[in-house]
Amino acid sequence: MSTDTLRVPEPLIRAGALIKYNSLLRLRDPSQLISYLVAPMVFMVMFQPLYTKALDYGSIQAVTGQLMMFSVFAMSIVANSIFVEREWLTWDRLRASRAARAELLIGKALPVFFVLLIQQAVLIVFGWAVVGMPFPKSLGLLTLAMCVWGFALLGMGAMLSTIVRSRGDLFVACDVGALLISSIGGAILPVDLMPPWAQAITTFSPGTYGLSMLRSAVQGDVVGTLQPGVICLVIGLICGAVATFRLAHGWGRSHLV
Amino acid sequence: MLEATDLTKKYDEVQALDGFSLSVAAGEICGLVGHNGAGKTTFVDMVSGLLRPDSGAVLVDGVPPHETRGEIGISPQHIALYRPLSVREHLELYGRLAGLRRKALKAEIEELATAMQLTSFLERRAGLLSGGQQRRTQAATALIHRPKLLLMDEPTAGADPETRQALLDVVKQRAAEGAAIVYTTHYLNELADLKASLAVASHGKVIARGSSAELLDGLPGEVRVRTTDHEYHRATTDPTAALMAVLAEARGTVESVELRNPDLDDLYRSLAVSDVH
Repeated sequence: MSTDTLRVPEPLIRAGALIKYNSLLRLRDPSQLISYLVAPMVFMVMFQPLYTKALDYGSIQAVTGQLMMFSVFAMSIVANSIFVEREWLTWDRLRASRAARAELLIGKALPVFFVLLIQQAVLIVFGWAVVGMPFPKSLGLLTLAMCVWGFALLGMGAMLSTIVRSRGDLFVACDVGALLISSIGGAILPVDLMPPWAQAITTFSPGTYGLSMLRSAVQGDVVGTLQPGVICLVIGLICGAVATFRLAHGWGRSHLV
Repeated sequence: MLEATDLTKKYDEVQALDGFSLSVAAGEICGLVGHNGAGKTTFVDMVSGLLRPDSGAVLVDGVPPHETRGEIGISPQHIALYRPLSVREHLELYGRLAGLRRKALKAEIEELATAMQLTSFLERRAGLLSGGQQRRTQAATALIHRPKLLLMDEPTAGADPETRQALLDVVKQRAAEGAAIVYTTHYLNELADLKASLAVASHGKVIARGSSAELLDGLPGEVRVRTTDHEYHRATTDPTAALMAVLAEARGTVESVELRNPDLDDLYRSLAVSDVH
């Protein structure tokens, strides 16, 4: 039966169209995702022997550390997907369409959220199959952790894209931001091995909570997953609220009625 | 169809609109002309629902623009296309957003592609199109759902003659079908082709409104005489007397004589000058 005869509600049709064409835009620019999949796989294999000697949970650190680091890099996929709307002057056209604000945001956010989930899922499977990470004790808990981390990244990436002034600013913010968040968060040097002063500043990196949540989820530690998970959720919500405000009000001289 | 009353808008220290009022009836093409910074694009953004006026009101079909977005088609001044998406995908996206269902959308795309001469590059990505093809594509996304109000902000800027004519023909057709059209441009001959009524904007308000004939009445035309020695120009409301006077003073052999009636350029210049003074 066609949608014409089913009479699908118009908001669903509009949101569906936005999801479809935003997904197409992502699929036609796959280089970022591919590089953020291949690079961590190489680093996981390289660092696995080192981490295994230094830590009890070495293989988990090798996988989740690189996953966290390159998922933060993938924040630039989110940021770029929104920034091009500014660059191509298309966002105002969408705002002037019949689509409601929620439909626009859902249409924009869902495809990149799935990209972030796919990246994490592929790296987890690779880590288990190739790097020797133990099979996660609870797939449900791990999925929840990946969704929460994906949400936090979505919020942070969206906020970045709406506050930078140029594409150059965006590159710098994403690259330097990702390096800071992930390295301070323990992706390269595990927090346990850091000097005390460095351990003190890890509190300020969202990566700390993301890594702790993902590692605990792989180990099946519910409390260890949920505690940092709440912080990641709050980060995602705050950043998402800033991004939503900026997106809803347009840029420059525009203000949404 | 469109009623804008006493709109004002200020950006920091710049008064973009200062009592801008304009009414456009169903089936009417209103040519909105004015110098850069006259407030045309701000007005279009306001009618699109993208901008809120500081004061005044806009009504489209009796309701505020944000309540009737589906009835408005917008072709903005700058190219605003997704480079990786094809022309057909653009038309599908904007058609779906306007509420067109599958069969109706397909039919509209076929018809519009033919009328706007898009058929040969319908599957090509926007980033690979020429400037004129991008212009046509953008205009088509505004027309796809047959809006009751069409806002076209310099839709032919930089377009080749073929693109321009294809677009003008579709605009005329849509007006004949009952759409109200606000058409901003610097190419005043296009408005003559469209048989548009005119609204001349200056410093954030409409300073003249009416048909071309009404507004051109009383404006001077021009006599141009070229001789082997010199070229003579004389603005005049009495071409015969002016021609005789020029011929009397001309030196050399006359090569050509041209009598030019007042056109929209003359109107625009005269209104702009009188508004500044």
